[in-house]
Amino acid sequence: MENRTIYIIAELRKGCITQETYELVSFARVIGKGKRPVFLLLGKSMDDQAREISQKTGCDVIALIGDHLDHYNALSYAHALTEILQEEAAAWVCLPHTSMGYDLAPRLAVPLKAACITGVESAGDDSLGRPIYSGRFIEEIVPKTSRVVVTVLPGAFRPCEEATGPAGAVRVMKAPFTELPSQTLGTAESAHRDSALKDAEVIVSAGRGIGKKENLSLIKKLAAVFPRSAVGASRSACDLGWLEHKHQIGTTGQTVSPKLYIACGISGAFQHVSGMRGAQTIVAINTDIHAPIFQVAHYGIVEDLETFIPLLIEATNRTFPFQ
Amino acid sequence: MKILVCIKQVPDSNDTLQIDERAGHLSYTANTAFRMNRFDEFALEEALLIKENLPGTLVDALSVGPERASSNVQRALGMGADHGIHILDRADGYMSPLTVASLIATCVRARNYDLIMTGVMAEDTMACQTGQLIAALLDLPCASSVIKEEACPESAEIMVEREIEGGSRETVRLKMPAVLTIQPGINFPRYPSFSKVMRARNYAQELVRAEDLEIEEPRESCRGVRIPDVASQGVFIKGSPREKAQKLMNILHEKSLLS
Repeated sequence: MENRTIYIIAELRKGCITQETYELVSFARVIGKGKRPVFLLLGKSMDDQAREISQKTGCDVIALIGDHLDHYNALSYAHALTEILQEEAAAWVCLPHTSMGYDLAPRLAVPLKAACITGVESAGDDSLGRPIYSGRFIEEIVPKTSRVVVTVLPGAFRPCEEATGPAGAVRVMKAPFTELPSQTLGTAESAHRDSALKDAEVIVSAGRGIGKKENLSLIKKLAAVFPRSAVGASRSACDLGWLEHKHQIGTTGQTVSPKLYIACGISGAFQHVSGMRGAQTIVAINTDIHAPIFQVAHYGIVEDLETFIPLLIEATNRTFPFQ
Repeated sequence: MKILVCIKQVPDSNDTLQIDERAGHLSYTANTAFRMNRFDEFALEEALLIKENLPGTLVDALSVGPERASSNVQRALGMGADHGIHILDRADGYMSPLTVASLIATCVRARNYDLIMTGVMAEDTMACQTGQLIAALLDLPCASSVIKEEACPESAEIMVEREIEGGSRETVRLKMPAVLTIQPGINFPRYPSFSKVMRARNYAQELVRAEDLEIEEPRESCRGVRIPDVASQGVFIKGSPREKAQKLMNILHEKSLLS
């Protein structure tokens, strides 16, 4: 594995390099045994971003520029990248496991004849660990090809520390335009946002595990116990129509960092966890002792919500009889 | 329009799975029940909504798996799919996403679907690859995490919105034929209807044998499956339910989270 060149495909959000991109440097360090990765960056004009990466990481950066690369698009990115990636017979191609990364990875892997290993959370001596069954198990995957495309779960590795040495070299190249059967027209903020979540000091969140919509009243009652509180939700609770999507916390919802986060009936898929892991204190209530949410919780309670939440509210009244 | 929806069959609950130490993979037990991957239900529902909107549209449902996968196809017919295809594959243990995508791509290459749809991922293997791989193998454009779509058969185009991080959406215009992977929340999947279930019972599903399809060799293998190391620094609060409630409130009080 050590002889492979390591490429990192940088990800942009609103023109800025994402934290997930910098997390890939730490992943590259593990798989490359210290070998320095090379960044590939795509966009309309990428001078500032390329300089930022080369200074922060000390790595070389190849920027591929063109008006047609202003927005992410699987086909235009793949078209620009494939030729460069084909130059190396043995290479790691690392992407974040995000809407960009998992969209693009298979598109790169097929023509490169590369193994495509997605949603990776750890790297061993010659295998990659990836959670399956909502994180209940980890499977260890061994690539059998000299080229490997990998997507790494957000938050699985820490962002790299800023390099103290010299900045890496930056090379800017024009990517030729071709007419392709897919075109990204632009991005827009989704209207579904709840500012109450951003400002709340305490968030009580509901997941699929609350069982039925009627149990939401329990969640709301518990939230009402705390001043400056708000009700949040997992993706699946919103998809079931129990709560509006503006309550959704996670990668496709909002990222929050309250003082206290109480996760009720939430299994703890990484998509949810990456939106709330910044909370100061995390309490998880779930009937399933194996639920991955307990891996991030500071306090875990294995109980049924329907019996436990009323007891919890009662306990508050005992602790604060005058409230 | 001709639409193909790829639907996976997954275990109903993760509690019935065991690690087969000898074989190094997960095995199902006698108690394991199976159902349709929830993400694929959204894809099937979206295809059925297109069919309702554009008369003359045909929806085929396809599932890869052993004999039991036929019940998955049957459910899709019960929900309203016109035709069901079962790629019979009895392979045990780790199955590369490329193997699955390759089986599907080879099977449907000559069938001229305008749209191929599937869920954004499978609940069991969580790879988020099948749709994109099918697209890459068939050289079709693809959009993943689709939360809104509008098909325009006259111009052979489809406009989609992809749900991306941070509460944003990306608008993409694709030429059809195209592949979409569907994000949950796009619709509310229907239940099978009685009359369609009756029809599905007697409907002869098309059976395709995996060994008759020429496919790509897998490019990775699975060395084993393990239980994750519990990295948690947290504690489980113990006691009766009432004691747990009181203990938790005391902790929150000490941390001044109640005032």
